[in-house]
Amino acid sequence: MAVFLQSALSGILIGGVYALTGIGLTLIFGVMRVINFAQGELVMVGMYCTFWLFVLAGIDPFLSVVLTMPALFLLGALLQRTLINRVLDALPQNQILLTIGIGLVLSNTAMLVFTSDYRILSTSYSSSSVALGVIRLSTPLLFCFLITAVITAALYWFLVKTDTGHAIRATAQDRDAAQLMGVNVRYMGVLAFGLGSALAGAAGALVAPIYYIYPQVGGAFTLKAFVVVVLGGMGSIIGAALGGILIGMSESLAAVYIAADMKDLCVYVIFLLVLLLKPSGLLGKSRM
Amino acid sequence: MTALLEVRNVSRFFGGVKANLDVSFSVEQGIVLGLIGPNGAGKTTLFNCITGFYPPSSGEIFFEGQRINGYPPDKVCKLGMARTWQKVRPLAKLTVLENTVVGALCRTNSVAEAQRIALEQLRVVGLEGRAPVLAGGLPIGERKKLELARVLATRPRMILLDEVMGGLNARESEEIIQLILDVKKRGLTQVVIEHDMKAIVRTCDRIVVLNSGEKLAEGVPQEIVNDPRVMAAYLGDSGGAKA
Amino acid sequence: MRTLLPWAVAAVVLALVPLWVQSPYALHIFILLFIAIALGESWNVIGGFAGQYSVGHAAWYGLGAYGAFILLQRKAIAPWFGVWVAVAAAVIVALAVGWITFRLRGPYFVLASIAVAEIIRLAALNWKELTNGAEGILAADVPPLRLGGTVITDWNSKTPYYYMGLAMALFCIAVNFLVKRSKLGYYLQAIREDQDAAHSLGIPLTLSKNTALAISAACTALAGSFAAFYVGFIEPQGVFGIEVSIQMVLTCIIGGIGTVAGPVIGAVVVVLLSEALRASLSSAHLLVYGVLVIIVILTMPDGFVGFIAQRLRRKAAPA
Repeated sequence: MAVFLQSALSGILIGGVYALTGIGLTLIFGVMRVINFAQGELVMVGMYCTFWLFVLAGIDPFLSVVLTMPALFLLGALLQRTLINRVLDALPQNQILLTIGIGLVLSNTAMLVFTSDYRILSTSYSSSSVALGVIRLSTPLLFCFLITAVITAALYWFLVKTDTGHAIRATAQDRDAAQLMGVNVRYMGVLAFGLGSALAGAAGALVAPIYYIYPQVGGAFTLKAFVVVVLGGMGSIIGAALGGILIGMSESLAAVYIAADMKDLCVYVIFLLVLLLKPSGLLGKSRM
Repeated sequence: MTALLEVRNVSRFFGGVKANLDVSFSVEQGIVLGLIGPNGAGKTTLFNCITGFYPPSSGEIFFEGQRINGYPPDKVCKLGMARTWQKVRPLAKLTVLENTVVGALCRTNSVAEAQRIALEQLRVVGLEGRAPVLAGGLPIGERKKLELARVLATRPRMILLDEVMGGLNARESEEIIQLILDVKKRGLTQVVIEHDMKAIVRTCDRIVVLNSGEKLAEGVPQEIVNDPRVMAAYLGDSGGAKA
Repeated sequence: MRTLLPWAVAAVVLALVPLWVQSPYALHIFILLFIAIALGESWNVIGGFAGQYSVGHAAWYGLGAYGAFILLQRKAIAPWFGVWVAVAAAVIVALAVGWITFRLRGPYFVLASIAVAEIIRLAALNWKELTNGAEGILAADVPPLRLGGTVITDWNSKTPYYYMGLAMALFCIAVNFLVKRSKLGYYLQAIREDQDAAHSLGIPLTLSKNTALAISAACTALAGSFAAFYVGFIEPQGVFGIEVSIQMVLTCIIGGIGTVAGPVIGAVVVVLLSEALRASLSSAHLLVYGVLVIIVILTMPDGFVGFIAQRLRRKAAPA
């Protein structure tokens, strides 16, 4: 029983990061109907930023989030203005290919600049854990989840309580109507992609003390983000949050109860099942 | 004599929305039936049910005596019923000829034979000079004609035309009216959704009026045009009828 | 028939190349080119004609490779027989996958295709008894090819691979030619342009898409087996990895999807650029792919062939 609780809880904690990445993806899709295949690579960029801030300036990863997020926001905004904006009316397949291309450029540039060596970011508390009765939860994982919760709450507040947040949601619901109401939808696109990238960067920062850091780590994050978003429903932020936690938990339980190297396989099988049985997801308002 | 198409008590619901409720009518071989009604009356929904894009929620549809509820669109086409679209759907990256060949291939496995049939239909609608042009580059009038040629190439027994005159100017509409009358002379049965009342009166043998998903009236054009209920239905909301 | 002339001339010229060119490196580049062409043309059938962008075609490539290798390894079945069994296996799996995934549209289909390839890759990685897992399989010695009593080749030089590669590339090009002019080709392109309109014109969607997938998977598996034997070693990431799928898609996008010549041009660009930059980029050679795809999608989404065709059309009809 303790084993079950332990792995389920650890899964929920890491699920927070998957949720963050998924929320970013779903935000971008909701506002621009673009499926960003480079989301995982943006996480990777966040990981490297965090790593170098730690190694060169000694800034703790959980603190440097406040630096990484704006940096990734700017990167995302730049990508949107120069590249994504030009394909908003193109075939969705072409949009996907464009973002795949961007992902390839990001990961391979990282390979050239940083080499493929695996990096490890270890802090003083990297291997410590917190006891909760019979369960031990890894400290970095705990911080990770807490900060994720804070960021998600902040995002929710922004979307629900501010004018800009309303404008973004309006654009996501009906682009033309929003434009007729005076919303600058071009700017909303930039904002959405910037925010989506910032969230990916945050995920990268939070996960840097936990995972190996290497240029190709993005790929797995992208696929997991998709599973999360499809499970929760394309365009639904709450759905992505729920989806992230569910996937984190499934992955963790699969690793313990089936086999450690089968956990990815299980996640992809869940993915296919959702796509086939309920493609609109748990809370989705998607149109296929 | 059995009707070619028989629609019996057809209803179609989308969640709580009743798009069609208990609609019944039949279409005899060789006539042109007009299907009119204000926007949102459920005309296109009815077409979609008949041609297999979704099954009716209840009721039955018979074509040539065969019950076709739930048949997929390609099977319905092979049986002999073809439809055009309210919002034209050209196969944009294919040429005018290739578009029509796609239709003709419904009846033959030979591409050469299909090309022959296609050219013939293009001649009927007057587009044979535009055969090598990409469909995506055509103006609206020619797109509508292309759609007509395309369905005619499937050698149907009956065609369903969904607002085939929508968006056309007077001259283009006149050409379409002539085509409908020519096609009728060749023995094809037609069901025509239209808002242009002048065209309806000139081409249709009988008219069925839908309003809010239900059948409001049925009769010959003279009866319908003078029916106060029909006028109320159109004038009651901003229908779009040009009487 | 006039359109066939340039292809015939090219085929003859290429067939004569090994008589003048002896350098193993040059022949190697040609072989890479033939493989890329075969793969591009294979993907074109389902991606270019039918518009179903599978980014998981590595699944068929790898099944072809592993199938033929395992049959040689375990049952000593010569590659020229084993390949066909592997191809058949790939087609059967492809049809099963198609039956499940073709109900999905657009980006959802893309995602599903990626997931399928990943699942197969992970299965290969973990099913160690069959595939040796991450350690991969080294090709057992390929027996000499005999006809009657005489040995045609020992597979000891590049030349036999060159001719097999050329034959395979020409075969895949021919398949594209035939499909494009056939009823299936018209139907696939109609599905690509507007699936609902196509359905209403009497086109059986599932049957058409699955036929295209079967053809595409078969050709991909064939190319995969050939490439595997040429390299001599296979492991899950190398044959099932997403880079393989992406390269196939890129070759077509760059050259021009839905055309017969497009994948050839794309293959030339991709292979030559990759080789030219191999020294400076080494493992980051995919950078070239990324940059290329961005440029092509932004400036000429119909690829080189589409771009030129558009120019010619503008010159012919200035209105």
